[in-house]
Amino acid sequence: MTEVILIPKRNVDIKLEADIINPDSFAGKSAEEIGNLPIWQGPRTYPLCEFFEVKVNGGSSEAETIIRIKGDASRVKRIGEGMSAGKIEIEGSAGMHLGTGMKGGEIFVSGDTDSWPAMEMIGGLLHIKGNAGDHVGCAYRGKWHGMKGGRIVIEGSARHQVGGGMDGGEIFVEGNVEGFCGIRQTGGLIIVKGRALRGVGAEMTAGTIVIGGKIERFSPGFEYMGIEEGLTLGGVELKGKFKKFIGDYAISTRAKGVLYVAVDTNTEL
Amino acid sequence: MEVLLITGSTIEEGRLAKGGDKFKAEYTKECAACWIATVDFVTLCSPEKVKVTSKNGKHSVVVYAKCTDSVRPGNVFMPKAIWTNVVVDPDTLSTGSPLYKGAPVKIEPTEERVLSAEDIVLKVYVRGQ
Amino acid sequence: MVFKNIVCPACGAACDDIQVELGDGTIETKNACKIGNVKFKEIVSSHRLRQPLINKGGRLIPVPWDEALEKATYILTSAKRPLLFLGSEISCEAHEAGLHIGEYLGAVVDSNTSIYHGPTVMGVQEAGKVGATEGQKKNRCDLIVYWGTNPLESIPRQMSRYEVFPRGYWTKRGRFDRIIITLDPRKTLTTEASDFHVQLTPNSDYELISALLTLLHGKIPHPSVEEITGVPISAMEELLYMMKNCNFGFISIGLGLSSSIGKHRNAEIVMNFVKEINKFTKFALGVIHAHCNVAGFNQVASYMYGYPFGLDFTRGYPRFNPGEFTTVDMLREKDVDAALVVCSDLISNLPADCATYLAEIPLICLDIVPCPTTVISDIVLPGVIDAMECDGTFYRQDDVPVYFEPFTGSPFEFTKSNEDTLRQLFAKIRKTK
Repeated sequence: MTEVILIPKRNVDIKLEADIINPDSFAGKSAEEIGNLPIWQGPRTYPLCEFFEVKVNGGSSEAETIIRIKGDASRVKRIGEGMSAGKIEIEGSAGMHLGTGMKGGEIFVSGDTDSWPAMEMIGGLLHIKGNAGDHVGCAYRGKWHGMKGGRIVIEGSARHQVGGGMDGGEIFVEGNVEGFCGIRQTGGLIIVKGRALRGVGAEMTAGTIVIGGKIERFSPGFEYMGIEEGLTLGGVELKGKFKKFIGDYAISTRAKGVLYVAVDTNTEL
Repeated sequence: MEVLLITGSTIEEGRLAKGGDKFKAEYTKECAACWIATVDFVTLCSPEKVKVTSKNGKHSVVVYAKCTDSVRPGNVFMPKAIWTNVVVDPDTLSTGSPLYKGAPVKIEPTEERVLSAEDIVLKVYVRGQ
Repeated sequence: MVFKNIVCPACGAACDDIQVELGDGTIETKNACKIGNVKFKEIVSSHRLRQPLINKGGRLIPVPWDEALEKATYILTSAKRPLLFLGSEISCEAHEAGLHIGEYLGAVVDSNTSIYHGPTVMGVQEAGKVGATEGQKKNRCDLIVYWGTNPLESIPRQMSRYEVFPRGYWTKRGRFDRIIITLDPRKTLTTEASDFHVQLTPNSDYELISALLTLLHGKIPHPSVEEITGVPISAMEELLYMMKNCNFGFISIGLGLSSSIGKHRNAEIVMNFVKEINKFTKFALGVIHAHCNVAGFNQVASYMYGYPFGLDFTRGYPRFNPGEFTTVDMLREKDVDAALVVCSDLISNLPADCATYLAEIPLICLDIVPCPTTVISDIVLPGVIDAMECDGTFYRQDDVPVYFEPFTGSPFEFTKSNEDTLRQLFAKIRKTK
């Protein structure tokens, strides 16, 4: 087991791009080697040790590498991009593109994250204690397919376009979401405990969404199917009554997306 | 009073902006304006000027009030110019373009002075007053 | 002297039929609209910027051209991450020169699209656009939908020259052969000139189009849509009936669609709607650009680097991600530390937080007249007016390139055009860095 500890040295002005903060690239390296890995600030690269103090305790392979960032990394982008194994723990907030395209391993954030966490995730676990920005587990611009597997857990709230173009995997949001949660979803599961603003499941053709709170503006292309009581989805048990809808018929006449909406909070639907 | 702010062009705004007359009193008169629906205008006691405050309360701007039937009650219109952008929400919802249309703002009658375009830059942006 | 068929550099319509009579210190135009006319007056106006200026202790003081360029070079080369904002009232050739500087410096290059029709362009990337040129509209169009736009006030000649009033091959009676529908939460000159006005609730465009698509697919939309949009389903059915039964329909979209909540998703779904309704009749979609050559930057940047706006060159290759590499977001997040603004009064169009930061960082401004942005600039370079004082290319709002020839020359000895200014600046940057 290797433990790499990164301690931010100073406040960052122009945001950093640190795709090398990643168990795959840290594995088997000494503190000095890790400290010399390049990170980007604007068009220049700097050694990692310019911005972080690096401490390493033993170990070798990717799967056994734990990276602990002790402090705020909200101006550090692309941490854990494409990681395949190991673990990253951030004791603070993280910047954009956290765990983008991750294939495996775990990321745990005790604070908030900026937009695009786990974009097009393939596998692994991303756990965010605080809130997340836009595009959680979403597809990149103009792309039709987003997250394919893995699991995202957000204990706070997320903003727009959660799970856009999702093909597989699971997203759990304890708090609220804003617009277009599960847009263009073609598979997988999204569970939101709180309220949603609008466009839930817009343009979805398959997959499942559960909204526990109120939907402010319901997507008009969904058809009511009936009431179901008590759901067990993705290993999570959901109590209470849910209205089941199928859609989105705005995008396809053969849509098979399933949307469950809590009855208590959405009496008028 | 909480309202939805819609911004957009007016022909006079276009004429003055394209003519390079952004520092003229005429431009201030045309663009430092908030068009309010009659019902809302009367509720506010027909003010000459209103203070428009952004949703988070961080920024506000004083403009001339104008009674109109072109917007529905609960909506206000402001010509797109430096005044309205003081209160426009800088959040772009990850699209690059701020919420120029349909952002919630607060309006209230005021006796404060309407600043010129130059004063907005110098007093609000440079010195942060 | 009288010049004919001059291209107007005021708005996206790029009218190419302006007649100009240039006298000694006077200028008269024919065919130009209220907005275009004042633009031509700039040639002789007293407030025109006529020399390079540098900010010393809060006042702009004239300096020699070379000194201004040297200072600008110093600002751009010593910045960690500069932002180049190339406005729209310059030629595509100037855009090209600016993009080259951006690539060389590893900077972020952005344009007016970013703060205006960016979401519409993103919608095109998501859904694809069924487009048509202004000529097709003139000759074929018998149903026009203005969605969230007021062209009579932003592009005054758009209706008379291209879409509504002209007599075309299959629209011989002009206005009488056309149905005009306007969707706007507000009553405007355009809604008054329309046959039908759908006054929808602000921010409900997505739900309305989604409901129209659901109806098109033979399903009844969820009844809650009536309260959300303020439009009864029966009215939506009527709207759809008119659309399905026209010969050639066209939707002109404005900022009302792409700048309200929903943004690129609004643009995306309206484009999906146009694709779907083509199963019933011929339909196309276009964008209303209130500024000249906004379309040009999208075209030039796309063919040079693959992306239409908000290009980031920090890693040596172009990257695109609105929200990350776009002007408003980068200024709000304080993620740039110097800026070059070309022919765009940027600060007037920025929300307060972004404007405040722009006022803090070193700023170079190239413009033709004093404006709020020049007030906070460290260096002001005088601009040449494209289409009047130098030749070049604009893209009209329907993405048709229009080559323009000048009727007079650059008023300056030190530069022939804005393209020339940017190329001179680039040469100096290359010597330094």
